[in-house]
Amino acid sequence: MNIIEMRGITKSFGSTQALKQVDLELHEGEVLSLLGENGAGKTTLMRVLYGMYTPDEGTMMFNETPIEFHKPIDAIRQGICMVHQHFMLVPFFSVTENVIAGEEPYRGIFVDRQAAKKRVKELIDQYHFELNPDALVESLSVGERQRVEILKALYRNAKILILDEPSAVLTPSEVENLFASIRILKKNGTSIVIITHKLYETLTIADRIAVLRDGEMINRNVDPKTADVVSLSEMMVGRSIQLDEKQPAKKVGEPFFCVDNLNVVEDGVVKLKDVSFKIRRGEIYGIAGVEGNGQTQLLDAVTGTIAPDSMRLTVGGKEITGDAHDFIQNKIGHVPADRMTQGLVLEMSVQDNLILGYHDFKEFSDKGFLKRTYIRDYAKANVDRFQVKTASIDTPVGKLSGGNQQKVVMARVLSRDLDVLVVAHPTRGVDIGASEYLHQQILNFRDQGKAVLLISADLDEVCTLSDRLAVIYGGKLVAECRPEDYTKVQLGLLMTGSPLEAVRKEDKHG
Amino acid sequence: MNGILAFIQLALTSTLRMSLPIILAAVGSAFSMRVGVVAFGCEGMMLMGAFCGVLGALQTGSNIIGVLYAIAGGTLISLLHAFLHVKHKVDGTLSGVCINLLGLSLTELFVKVIWDSNQYSPAITPFAVFSLNGMEKIPFIGPILASQYVFFYITILVVIVSHIFMYRTKYGLRMRMVGDNPMAAYSLGINTVAYKYFGVGMCGALSGLAGAYLSMAMLSCFQTNITSGRGYIAMVACNLSRSTPLGAAVSGIFFGFFNALQTMFQSVDFPSQILMAMPYVFTLLASLVHIKWLRGPTAVGKHYDDESN
Repeated sequence: MNIIEMRGITKSFGSTQALKQVDLELHEGEVLSLLGENGAGKTTLMRVLYGMYTPDEGTMMFNETPIEFHKPIDAIRQGICMVHQHFMLVPFFSVTENVIAGEEPYRGIFVDRQAAKKRVKELIDQYHFELNPDALVESLSVGERQRVEILKALYRNAKILILDEPSAVLTPSEVENLFASIRILKKNGTSIVIITHKLYETLTIADRIAVLRDGEMINRNVDPKTADVVSLSEMMVGRSIQLDEKQPAKKVGEPFFCVDNLNVVEDGVVKLKDVSFKIRRGEIYGIAGVEGNGQTQLLDAVTGTIAPDSMRLTVGGKEITGDAHDFIQNKIGHVPADRMTQGLVLEMSVQDNLILGYHDFKEFSDKGFLKRTYIRDYAKANVDRFQVKTASIDTPVGKLSGGNQQKVVMARVLSRDLDVLVVAHPTRGVDIGASEYLHQQILNFRDQGKAVLLISADLDEVCTLSDRLAVIYGGKLVAECRPEDYTKVQLGLLMTGSPLEAVRKEDKHG
Repeated sequence: MNGILAFIQLALTSTLRMSLPIILAAVGSAFSMRVGVVAFGCEGMMLMGAFCGVLGALQTGSNIIGVLYAIAGGTLISLLHAFLHVKHKVDGTLSGVCINLLGLSLTELFVKVIWDSNQYSPAITPFAVFSLNGMEKIPFIGPILASQYVFFYITILVVIVSHIFMYRTKYGLRMRMVGDNPMAAYSLGINTVAYKYFGVGMCGALSGLAGAYLSMAMLSCFQTNITSGRGYIAMVACNLSRSTPLGAAVSGIFFGFFNALQTMFQSVDFPSQILMAMPYVFTLLASLVHIKWLRGPTAVGKHYDDESN
């Protein structure tokens, strides 16, 4: 039976049409994977179902009766709950408080805390979520926070659970836990929609796959048993693409970019402890780890953005010191972790963003005045060379899609004469097509005999691109290896602090 | 010995009297902050309250109705603040500053138009001190309590009820959620806009009450700029307490104490400005201290439909 039927859903934001005549149905008790690239309209479609957006056109049926949702509460009352990609939790509230808010058990005008805690504890036990109902959410790991979000839905007796990119922030073993939870939910009769762009996961967990592209429903009845990664990705992107393959380093030279004895203490907390590593010419060195284990500080230290408590950094034997400006002068290129807040000035034009940080180079300015004509030509050439899709070089960079914004950041550094590239999360929030392109740029740069330091939360990305990698945990580099030395699950365990010996043992059992 | 005791009694009496308006407005600010609206309009709301209280008392001859006028006046101008900030997304600090300036200039204008005076309203019969039979006979604290106004008991009630409301009722839980993550609250079907109006309205009502205390108990008339910055101090007191009602009471007394000392030292040859500056020095120091279990709302100025959330 169709528990949900959406027909001809159309939704525009300003001049962009996010959804065009989309049809979708959800069967009772199935796991439906809604697959598509960033900006394909997956989240928009689900927010329509959840009552966060009102569609411009189209109808919805719930249990075969027409229905309209104007606010999330309308959907919640019908048992439709959504776990958002950015968690909707209050960090300083306890697990229980977060779960019950909006539908509190009460005695008179007071919240019945005992009853609340009891109910939440029951749910936690029933689904083996292993959470303490009194713990503050801020003290929980990302995986645990996600379970709190799912608890919120279960507490509201969700019949339909929408998960928006649930695995984006999880380590491989946490993903396994999540999938286990999803299977229990399904067994209890919950219908589940998973919004994702990860193909392997879709094939693992889904009963049925629906593919969206540019706001259009391409195919809403793909059977995961017969589908494969290649056909799915073609449906998503609309053309055949080269999935990332391992491209090993061709010519690895002498150690070139050497970091020795890097220590950072912030507000009395040790963020980095005795970090040392060497990157050789023609090599990509990856750092894998759960966010918040010192990656930010490592990135800031080796690009001169912060002054570490101790560090000896040499590039080709020459010691580099000073601030970010000095590091730029010494040919260290930096692609920051967050393009929105660090990489770009969103209100500024594409051409201005393309020279940020390099603007005081003789090439671009003369006695304090910008060489406008030259900059325009330079920007035009680089927009072409790096295939940035933009209306013009005067367009504010904030108007570009995520992938094109990232291309601007990448173009800015790669168009310079660099020795070293320090790059963080190069494809976060970037669609497959652009990811493929950005990855190739990094590989090409390496193959010119340059050194690359890659930091990414996406384990697949680190493993595919890196020639060697280290796992960072609690501010220390815990394992330095080749990506193929460990399985993804083992790396995931290392990332969450399991000791090296235990992880090796795991291998024997597995 | 008796002299010292009398001095302490006097200091405490004065401290309590001076703290009341700050506590009331600071608890109001806590309501505003807890729904995520920066409490930057108390000064204007207090002025409106002080003015409307006297106006009501003069019009009706009843001080009680005057106080109701004051609460209404404070609420009304606070709703303008909410309207600008919640409905039209004007920056909260900016609209708060506008409310303060508007409160100051409107009351000046009204004093001129209604009473043809540049500074003062006509006098009213002020509230008398409120003391129960035999209360002053209680050793030591008796005389202190006996020289407080009815506002003293109202304030205690306001502080306790506000605390219970915020931390024990479902409405309080929802309200705090709005100030900490409006998007999350909205996604659970909580009407964030209504809570924001409610929180700011409470700030206006309590600030209005604080204003009435100034003009109808401590003085017996309205005087332009009668608040002389107490609304700003209340905002600081609220911040110092991380927007908790009980904390607001404590920090209100702290500021009241220095206020009282300053008044008492005015007759002595000692620069009272030094005492006046003390609370601010302490505030600066206190804001450097991070208290782990005491935390204010984290989403001040955010709306449920913010893209960045």
